[in-house]
Amino acid sequence: MTTQPQPMQWRDYLNSGPVERRTFLRGALATAAMVPLSGFLASCASSGVDAPSSTTSAGGAGSGASVAPSGSAAPSGSGAGSSGAPAVDKDNPFGMAASSSVDAVIFNGGYGVKYTEFAAQQVEKKQAGSKVKVTPTTTISQTLQPRFVSGNPPDVLDNSGAGAIGLGTLRDQLEDLSSIIDVPNYEGKIIKDTLYAGVLKPGTLDGKVVALNYVLTVYGLWYSASLFKENGWTVPKTWDEMFELGGKAKAKGKYLFTWGKEAATYYLTLAISSAIKEGGDEVRLALDNIKEGCWSQKPVQDVFTAMKKIIDAGYMKPGGSGTQFTAAQAQWSNAQEAILYPSGSWIENEMKDQTKAGFTMTGAPEPSVTASPKLPYESLHSTAGEPFLIPSKGKNVPGAKEFMRAMLSHDAAVNFAKSTFSSTVVKDTIPADGFGSTALVSQVAMLKAAGDHVYTWNMNDIYGFNTQQLVVWNSFLDGKSDVATLTKGLQGISDKVLHDDSVKKVTVS
Amino acid sequence: MTAVIGTTIDAPGSGPAAPRGRGRRQLTFDKISFFAVFLILPVIGYLSFVVWPFGQAFYYSMTDWSGFTSAMKFIGLKNYQTLFTDDTFRKAMFNSIKLGVLLPIITIGIALLFASLITVGGPSRGRIRGLRGSSIYRVVSFFPYVIPAIVIGLMWSQIYDPSAGLLNGILTHLGFDSAKSFAWLGDSSTAMIATMFVIVWGLVGFYMVLFVAAIKGVPAEIYEAARIDGAGRFRTAVTITIPLIRDNIQTSFIYMGIIALDAFTYMAALNPIGGPDNSTLVMSQDLYMTAFSQTNKFGLACAMGVVLAIITLLFAAVVFLINKLTGGTNEVAE
Repeated sequence: MTTQPQPMQWRDYLNSGPVERRTFLRGALATAAMVPLSGFLASCASSGVDAPSSTTSAGGAGSGASVAPSGSAAPSGSGAGSSGAPAVDKDNPFGMAASSSVDAVIFNGGYGVKYTEFAAQQVEKKQAGSKVKVTPTTTISQTLQPRFVSGNPPDVLDNSGAGAIGLGTLRDQLEDLSSIIDVPNYEGKIIKDTLYAGVLKPGTLDGKVVALNYVLTVYGLWYSASLFKENGWTVPKTWDEMFELGGKAKAKGKYLFTWGKEAATYYLTLAISSAIKEGGDEVRLALDNIKEGCWSQKPVQDVFTAMKKIIDAGYMKPGGSGTQFTAAQAQWSNAQEAILYPSGSWIENEMKDQTKAGFTMTGAPEPSVTASPKLPYESLHSTAGEPFLIPSKGKNVPGAKEFMRAMLSHDAAVNFAKSTFSSTVVKDTIPADGFGSTALVSQVAMLKAAGDHVYTWNMNDIYGFNTQQLVVWNSFLDGKSDVATLTKGLQGISDKVLHDDSVKKVTVS
Repeated sequence: MTAVIGTTIDAPGSGPAAPRGRGRRQLTFDKISFFAVFLILPVIGYLSFVVWPFGQAFYYSMTDWSGFTSAMKFIGLKNYQTLFTDDTFRKAMFNSIKLGVLLPIITIGIALLFASLITVGGPSRGRIRGLRGSSIYRVVSFFPYVIPAIVIGLMWSQIYDPSAGLLNGILTHLGFDSAKSFAWLGDSSTAMIATMFVIVWGLVGFYMVLFVAAIKGVPAEIYEAARIDGAGRFRTAVTITIPLIRDNIQTSFIYMGIIALDAFTYMAALNPIGGPDNSTLVMSQDLYMTAFSQTNKFGLACAMGVVLAIITLLFAAVVFLINKLTGGTNEVAE
């Protein structure tokens, strides 16, 4: 090894082989050491350019109410735009400024964005000269985060999908939407009177309607009516009947259920629904208010025990915890290796391309524990999904409300049902043939049979439990854990939030 | 100003320094433009795109920022306290460290083995060369590196599929009935190993090619001399190859460690929800879920980022230290 007699000039560095390599390596190592800094942390930080503007708007946040009145005090129509106060009448109930534009960011998921573009056209037709720009995105949270931070949110957004923003996080920045349902729709009927019962509930936090959920979802057990008819099976109404059916299916070389790793909590939804049916409202309230010991209530435990019996009997298709959920659903809808699947009514649309011909997909209510549950067998877990939000700081709040009015009008609702085989929260939009969809027909029939006995719960959406619950449910469905472990796991997850003072609780009644 | 004063003080004391001082005074346009382009701009870029976000993230990690407000409350080190009492995060940290320790050793070990076989592991007569026909592996094993990590992840998640996957198909065909519907990624005893296999499979080719190039840079005479002295292939690898390319090995080790400590892409494709019992949950995944799932705790997520960065720096430091302790001082620490 040679030693270096004196400091080298930079030219010498280039000329000497080994030193060059060493220098290169040193540089490489320094770079390597910086990779984590730039990668992990930069991804976490907002951009440097944003920072000053965010502090500016932070200063202004206190006086936000006085900054934004042009939007929020809209019904009076005073300060909107330079073109003078727009007339507030039944054709323009929110006082949307003439020739103004609306910026809508829509989640591009199972339902696509075509239905919102349809409503956008309706608005443009109704309010001459106005413009509604629909921006599709698959990642709501990542797309909109910088805009919320810098105080420049879109006028209206569809907060759905895996990247949805927590409602609890945004609630203080959102407009109260209760005024929308009091105005007439494009056909002249008051919107409130055209909606299914209870559809505002999931978007209402402590009395404030922060989200208007557009799509009506009915939860239940989904099956192939043709397959059941062929084998002379009936849909089980209790868990005992369910167990029997499992045996019959096994005899035919089929499984009762199948599951996918990202959708293991569909079985939690099934269990909660079944327990509420069995034990009534008190079960629902205890769970939704994340009470201590809520998972140890008898009806809940009875359902878990019944499920465990089915799992132990080998009626679940094994391997679910390693199967992607749509692949698992195809085992039910296409390969018919499993005969029942607990899901929401989006399932038909989701599996459209992977459903066996002549499947005649049909829904049925969840089973109860005993033959005489507190709520009738027909009672139903139904809720509204696809929450549309209107941020108070949006530039055109009246325009956003006008857009929602168009969405909730008959034409737009029928258009949605026809193109997605799903129902909106607007009543009487589905013909008797369900546009040829057996699932949609059964969905309407189930709702009709349930009458007023429709319930739902929101704790998973409000507190974001799902990710953690998936872990315990995958183990349970896999047969690797027992009812006690499952209960302890679920209770731990909800207790953590219950005892965390930084999380604002929502009281459900 | 200060530079002038500095040189005037220096000048009388030390004669040899004088030429350097004179050189510094001659600020020609060439020199200034050279400084501007090659020093000042990169430093500005570095400060604004690396150092500033780092500081910003560190600040955010001490707030309760939800990520969607312009206002945030300073809460000191509470996020860090939350992190280290959180079982899920501790598990993720342990998993990350496990990957950080095992993956570089396995990947680089295999890459070294292959590289030796391809370059110097051949017949012991004639010129120094690899095993006959082995050069095809130089190409073949590089293939996976050409495919993006996310594609590798998705591909292997299909191969591992319990019911329709290639792996279980082959195993059941060979008569292993217990492999029927076995969830490789869904069983906590196999999920981590299956995941590690995919990462090694994807990266071993790159490091092999890197080492092949390094070994080619070692003069063949050294190998010939070793052969004449009677050194076998293993002895040659341990006492000739490894010491002569240890710089490359160290660099590779650090790079591989960083990939292993991150591992986000592979995990997101293979086990997006953290695997059975969170057995494959890694810190970057926990960070992502904390920030972007419905809990929206960006402050906490930033704290995770800081912890991850510190662990990565510690990892690099440990690799340096080990290299130093095992006698690599002159080669690298210079």
